[in-house]
Amino acid sequence: MSLFVRRQLPIVLVFVAAVLVMADYFLKIPGTGPVVKDLQNWGIILTAFSLGFGAVNLFYLHTRHISRRTPGQWPFSTWLLLMIVVFTIVGVTMGPTGPQYSWLYNSSYFALSATVYSSLGFYMTTGCYRALRARNAEAALLLVVGAIALLRNAPAVAVGVPIIIPMEAWLSAIPTTSAQRGIMIGASLGAIALGVRTMIGRETGFLGRLTEAERRG
Amino acid sequence: MLVAGRIFALGMLIALWVFIIGCMEMAKKKLPSFRKLAGLDALPEMVGRAAEMNRPVHYTTGLGELTGTVAPQLVAGLAVLGYVSELAAKYGVKIVYSVYQAQVMPLATEIMREAYIRAGKPDAFNAEDQIRYLSGEQFAYATAVQGFAERERPAANIMIGPFYAESMMFSETFFRIGSIQLAGTARGYQIPFFAVICDYLLIGEEIYAAGAYLSKDPVQCGSIQGQDLGKLIAWILMFVGVLATVAGSSIINDLLKA
Repeated sequence: MSLFVRRQLPIVLVFVAAVLVMADYFLKIPGTGPVVKDLQNWGIILTAFSLGFGAVNLFYLHTRHISRRTPGQWPFSTWLLLMIVVFTIVGVTMGPTGPQYSWLYNSSYFALSATVYSSLGFYMTTGCYRALRARNAEAALLLVVGAIALLRNAPAVAVGVPIIIPMEAWLSAIPTTSAQRGIMIGASLGAIALGVRTMIGRETGFLGRLTEAERRG
Repeated sequence: MLVAGRIFALGMLIALWVFIIGCMEMAKKKLPSFRKLAGLDALPEMVGRAAEMNRPVHYTTGLGELTGTVAPQLVAGLAVLGYVSELAAKYGVKIVYSVYQAQVMPLATEIMREAYIRAGKPDAFNAEDQIRYLSGEQFAYATAVQGFAERERPAANIMIGPFYAESMMFSETFFRIGSIQLAGTARGYQIPFFAVICDYLLIGEEIYAAGAYLSKDPVQCGSIQGQDLGKLIAWILMFVGVLATVAGSSIINDLLKA
């Protein structure tokens, strides 16, 4: 594949698409709206198409685990492939919005997803234990602030020591919000700088960098 | 012609472009100085540790999509993926990239393949084994990454991109198995979770600067200086806005809404 197709063409396409989308956002130019809508639709179609890559990758990886009987892995791989086949058959034959597919989804993935999400509480508890130790001045400050926030959310303490309610509200509304906004402003500027580098073809990390042979042409 | 309510934003965007491109041009003559980013400087050490322990390196870019508002974070994560893959290839370490969005796979394949070519080991790269599509569902992806961590016990875990509730699950799981960890995200709610557990952290804008920082390309590095000028303008607007509001004027508020 030529260097033009691999490097310059993607950059040109990125530039044109970015200019069109920005023009549609900032300017009222007749005709740009449908073009941008088409671009977004292409994105959706390409995303759906790329799922095929994912499915092939899953089958390749997990059939290998099954054929090699990888310890601790192959029964799960078998189950995964079986479920992919079952979901596909039910979705194709009865429709992905039909009651059968919905029942299958809600009874298996939805329940499991909620279970995994709820386990987050335990991860947060261990993380909290690790964070709230006064090893230095900053950690001690974090400990004090964390303790205030925790106690504020314990109803018995909040009722018994009502002063803790405005203290926590002030901490949330002033120092925390200002720090968050500072990070957001910096991140937004960083994203713009990355966008400029990408549009003018200076940021090529996401395309891979040139090999020595390509640099020499 | 101009959309009402977006005029000031457009003006600011054009000003930022001018600053960034101007600084990139100036950087061709003199490279600006930067503060060190410990997390990025530690990458060779992290991959080296994996080589010593004969264990893989795990890399993921979180719930990134190429078509959403978090796309820049994903692109930033992919820029670092190329560098880490090259290091892994040089040190003879297996790097596994866990994918949430299948649309990223062709890009990731290209990035990693080229990294292995740069390292002079194209045959060592196995896309099907090293780039693993896990799931497009958040918690299925999260449990798959955790399962990988428990089974293959990578020596290093690198997470750069947009992360959500799974951030704590990942960092705790990899901490428990003894992985050295670098995390970076621009999602404010997840930064504290990473800060508590991970060994190295990239906060907000640092992930966007990562590609330029690692490339050592003066022109790319110049854009970071332009970005700092943008911060100066934001700071001036905030300062003047606070003074004006205290004085009873809404001039800056009105300007921002123009």
